[in-house]
Amino acid sequence: MSQTPSPIGLHKQLDAIWRTPPGLARLSSVNHTILGKRFMALALLFFAIGGLLSMLIRAQLATPNSAFLGPDIYNQIFTMHGTVMMFLFAIPMFEGFAIYMLPKLLGARDLAFPRLTAYGFWCYLFGGSILIIAMLAGVAPNGGWFMYTPLSSKPYTPGINADVWLLGITFVEISAVTAAIELFVTILKMRAPGMALTRMPLFAWYMLVTAGMMIIGFPPLILGSILLEMERAFHLPFFDPTRGGDPLLWQHLFWLFGHPEVYIIFLPAAGALSTIIPVFAQRPILGYRAIIAAIVAMAFLSFGLWVHHMFTVGIPHLALAFFSAASALVAIPTAVQIFAWIGTLASGKPRWDIPMLYVFGFFAVFVCGGLTGVMLAMVPFNTQAHDSYFVVAHLHYVLVGGFVFPMLAAIYYWLPHISGRQSLYRLSIPAFWLILIGFNLTFFLMHLTGLMGMPRRISTYPSNWGWDWLNLLSSVGGFILTMGFALVLADMVLQFRFGARFRRDPWQAGTLEWATATPPPSYNFAAIPHMDTRADQLRPARIGPTLAGGDGYLGFARNGEQETLAVDMMSGDAEQLIVLPRRSYLPLWTAMATASFFLALLFKLYWLAPFGALATLVLFLCWPIGLGSKSDRGPIDIGRGLAVPPDVEAPDNVTVLANRTALVMNGTLFASLLFGGLFLLVVAPNWQGSSAPTLPLWAGALAVVASLSAAGASAMAARRPGSVLPLRAGLVAAIALQVLALTLLALSMGALGDPTGHARQAVPFVTLGYAALHCGLGAIMAAHALWRHAQGYVSARRRTELVLARLWNGYAGGVVVLALGLVALLGLNGVAP
Amino acid sequence: MPLVRLVAGFVIWSAGFVVLYAVQALGCAYGWGDWHRPVLIGLYLLALAPLSWLAIPARAGAEEGPLHFAALWANRAALLAAVLIFMPVTFASLCV
Amino acid sequence: MFKPVALGATPLLLTGCTGALSTLDPAGPRAANLATLWWVMLYGSALLFALVIALFAMAYLRPAWVARITPVQWIVGGGLVLPIPILILLTGTALVLGEQLLPRGDAPLRFGAHAERWQWNFTYPDGREMSDDVLHIPAGQPIDVAVSSADVIHSFWVPRLGGKIDAIPGHENLIRLEADEPGTYWGQCAEYCGPGHDSMWFRIEAHTDEDFTALMEGGQ
Repeated sequence: MSQTPSPIGLHKQLDAIWRTPPGLARLSSVNHTILGKRFMALALLFFAIGGLLSMLIRAQLATPNSAFLGPDIYNQIFTMHGTVMMFLFAIPMFEGFAIYMLPKLLGARDLAFPRLTAYGFWCYLFGGSILIIAMLAGVAPNGGWFMYTPLSSKPYTPGINADVWLLGITFVEISAVTAAIELFVTILKMRAPGMALTRMPLFAWYMLVTAGMMIIGFPPLILGSILLEMERAFHLPFFDPTRGGDPLLWQHLFWLFGHPEVYIIFLPAAGALSTIIPVFAQRPILGYRAIIAAIVAMAFLSFGLWVHHMFTVGIPHLALAFFSAASALVAIPTAVQIFAWIGTLASGKPRWDIPMLYVFGFFAVFVCGGLTGVMLAMVPFNTQAHDSYFVVAHLHYVLVGGFVFPMLAAIYYWLPHISGRQSLYRLSIPAFWLILIGFNLTFFLMHLTGLMGMPRRISTYPSNWGWDWLNLLSSVGGFILTMGFALVLADMVLQFRFGARFRRDPWQAGTLEWATATPPPSYNFAAIPHMDTRADQLRPARIGPTLAGGDGYLGFARNGEQETLAVDMMSGDAEQLIVLPRRSYLPLWTAMATASFFLALLFKLYWLAPFGALATLVLFLCWPIGLGSKSDRGPIDIGRGLAVPPDVEAPDNVTVLANRTALVMNGTLFASLLFGGLFLLVVAPNWQGSSAPTLPLWAGALAVVASLSAAGASAMAARRPGSVLPLRAGLVAAIALQVLALTLLALSMGALGDPTGHARQAVPFVTLGYAALHCGLGAIMAAHALWRHAQGYVSARRRTELVLARLWNGYAGGVVVLALGLVALLGLNGVAP
Repeated sequence: MPLVRLVAGFVIWSAGFVVLYAVQALGCAYGWGDWHRPVLIGLYLLALAPLSWLAIPARAGAEEGPLHFAALWANRAALLAAVLIFMPVTFASLCV
Repeated sequence: MFKPVALGATPLLLTGCTGALSTLDPAGPRAANLATLWWVMLYGSALLFALVIALFAMAYLRPAWVARITPVQWIVGGGLVLPIPILILLTGTALVLGEQLLPRGDAPLRFGAHAERWQWNFTYPDGREMSDDVLHIPAGQPIDVAVSSADVIHSFWVPRLGGKIDAIPGHENLIRLEADEPGTYWGQCAEYCGPGHDSMWFRIEAHTDEDFTALMEGGQ
């Protein structure tokens, strides 16, 4: 620190700490640059698979009375096309993009939880593989990508097909859950000092909102999948109308996720556009603050639209009116962004280059999709267009226009950052025209095909409805489109092999990621810069060499530790020194244990599944080993004359924030379960005359008292971290009380009555099961705190483990109260007439 | 805190949305009859009150803080969204 | 009744849109309303689309007036002033139209359509059941169809007479339809329901009042 090494010397020192060695050791990588690239590469592979499936669909539909694929194969193929594109391409693609980009854009050396990134990647790989292998084995899901019950229930899909979807997708969703929490926390806490929230580049704002939406949006789907799998595997009725369930509950849970999902996919792409357009307009983005307001509005409104997928299920007109109006109004924040982008170009000095060509494609296609979206939001028109090819056309305009075209622009803009080479631009222009023309030929005509009456998901059609020429042209267009994508792929390969090397910042961009060397080094920045201005108006070419020379925060290698900074959420003042965990095989082992759990369920080896879950839990408990500090270190020098405490000594560090976020997500899952119970009570058929769940009152009351006391005891322990006796007594009491509560709840579950008979028993059964599980988790978190304390990792200043124990025990207490409240409600004679 | 202010309006909007949707369903399921629509309209007006307050720029503290401009406009958007999206409670068919 | 006025008013494009399942070839007042709504929205959307693309082009062609537009004008003008009145007008109209299409008020003749993989069983106002995939109705008056399902979710859709409604096990949904003229109107299942979804067709045969009465009394 006293004598600064040369930039090369500094690079060698830092790289020795951060790098992932070659060979098999790559499996232990936790680096966000490597994992971001892996996510994106795998997503592109799935995109190719999904594309091939769409070619089969178009080949089948090109002519009437086609005998190319029978309905059995065709149903698997269209289901897999939708599933692969949504869950295995679009979501992981933007996750990978954000994982790669955000730390570089924000001035951090990695994400907040590098090992969690790796775990998420393995879950994505394994879960996706389950789906693809099932397809190759001929047992792919065949219920359509939204898996409507009862078609996907056991009586109508007796095979393994639906289980592959439910378990495989839930496994993949783990990566979305971990990415959402991690990105949320990283954006809020791990920026370059000085980068106040109001100085963040817009892409970070878009991703912050996206991560927030994922935290609320994914739990309903995960809950729905769990419930449906329980119905299929253990006959617990939730969606079966003959036993007090309701197929509409699945639709509500699915679209409560499914509609926000569309915006979850669109917002990162819009964030990329908000980054690219100002660079080519050669002026800062217009309406920075208006765009923030617009994306907040969009995020919330997008949760008020889900029923517009259900306009024809027989919901009263007033309820439809809410959703219709919200679906129309969401066009306003979209229009604000569209005009902010056009205005940015109009009031700048716009340059024309390849990324802008694809941005133009975005405007042409996405605006069209938005307009048909407003049409579909109108209930009367929707009753005609719903479930027809008009909807197929609309959704492809929105998703290809709103995601694929911006991602193509992003590929041409950022691929040089990944490859360190610039494209030679020969193939991108014909590729663009092939894609644009092919896309519109395929999908523009489908609007008409749909209005001419062709429903979705039919494997063939007779020649007498007038659809023949439309389908044939759509198929021709589809193949032109594929040629365009093949050219883009070829262009990417050529760029990696033969592209021209460049120094830094080839586009004269204004954001920090171009201040790294390209391809980026393992540690991103040899020193972390201080931000004095908004972080989308920087001069990367000037900042880059300064940082490489170690001029900034943490411009040195210290103790062989992976150091980066945490800042105050709002102001961006440097606040904590984070020491990140090193590369490790633990994420891989943990993901394998998780895979054993999912595979045991898939192959109906139900005795094995608890062992898989237990192995996963034990491995997770190994993660903290060796992390943290056994002594208080106090403020540590971070360069530029500043010293900050290590994050373990800070009261609100990233771990605490991540656990709070996880609890919000978990709470959304529980809220969805409560909603499901109330929904069935009010709406579902066959509740008249059903018998009420019987709950031993004393057991329920005692469970509430025990769990709330455990919450109190852990809170007491967290308040007195310095004194050993109250701390240990509090934690031991919390463990004992939660185990008591768990036992009582398990007892109550047994006393409810047969849970396979009626939803009125099944819903309390799973609700109490959820509560019991969380009592168990509360006990584990308290035991973990006790263990860490015994090892010396906890002190008056280092009390993260105590805070976590308090949070999880408090959550468990709340859950027990609400769960028993729901059971009581279902026990009353409150069944709707 | 500024982040709370940024989302405050839309959190109220969301709560209003959920309550109105639930009350619509409950009223039909349990046959509230003539009381159904007045209750919905009352809840509609109730949701507009805090949203209107959040949308006033001259309110104390509204024009301070780092995100005040974005927050003010997000809250105004929430007010507009509530006025328009909840308005069907005044005329649309409740249970058909 | 032949309607030269309505036909004359329909655009030329429509000639390519006829078909036994075409929503753009309506054969009843309800489907005609929906088709009109579509044509209005189509023309409006075409205008808005042209406007956005023209503005994008202007940003590059840079005539002087484009450069004079201020940031506030872009965002308030394009993002608020332009869409809000259009959306309020459109949504309001659609909701009023939706109210008019609801099956309520004077209860007309009520038929039943019970879906079962992969066929439709129809019941008549007098309680008779038939499972030959044909529903006989009177022309020139609105009728209600109560739609239900025995197994998975299906959807009842006769595009030339009106919109669709889902057949959901455990629920019964009502849809009101009307055919102007006697004739055959094809319908189909619109919600994916498994391997036989492709061929879940049915027909509605609309008859004159006399023929319909005779048919009902004939006990066929």
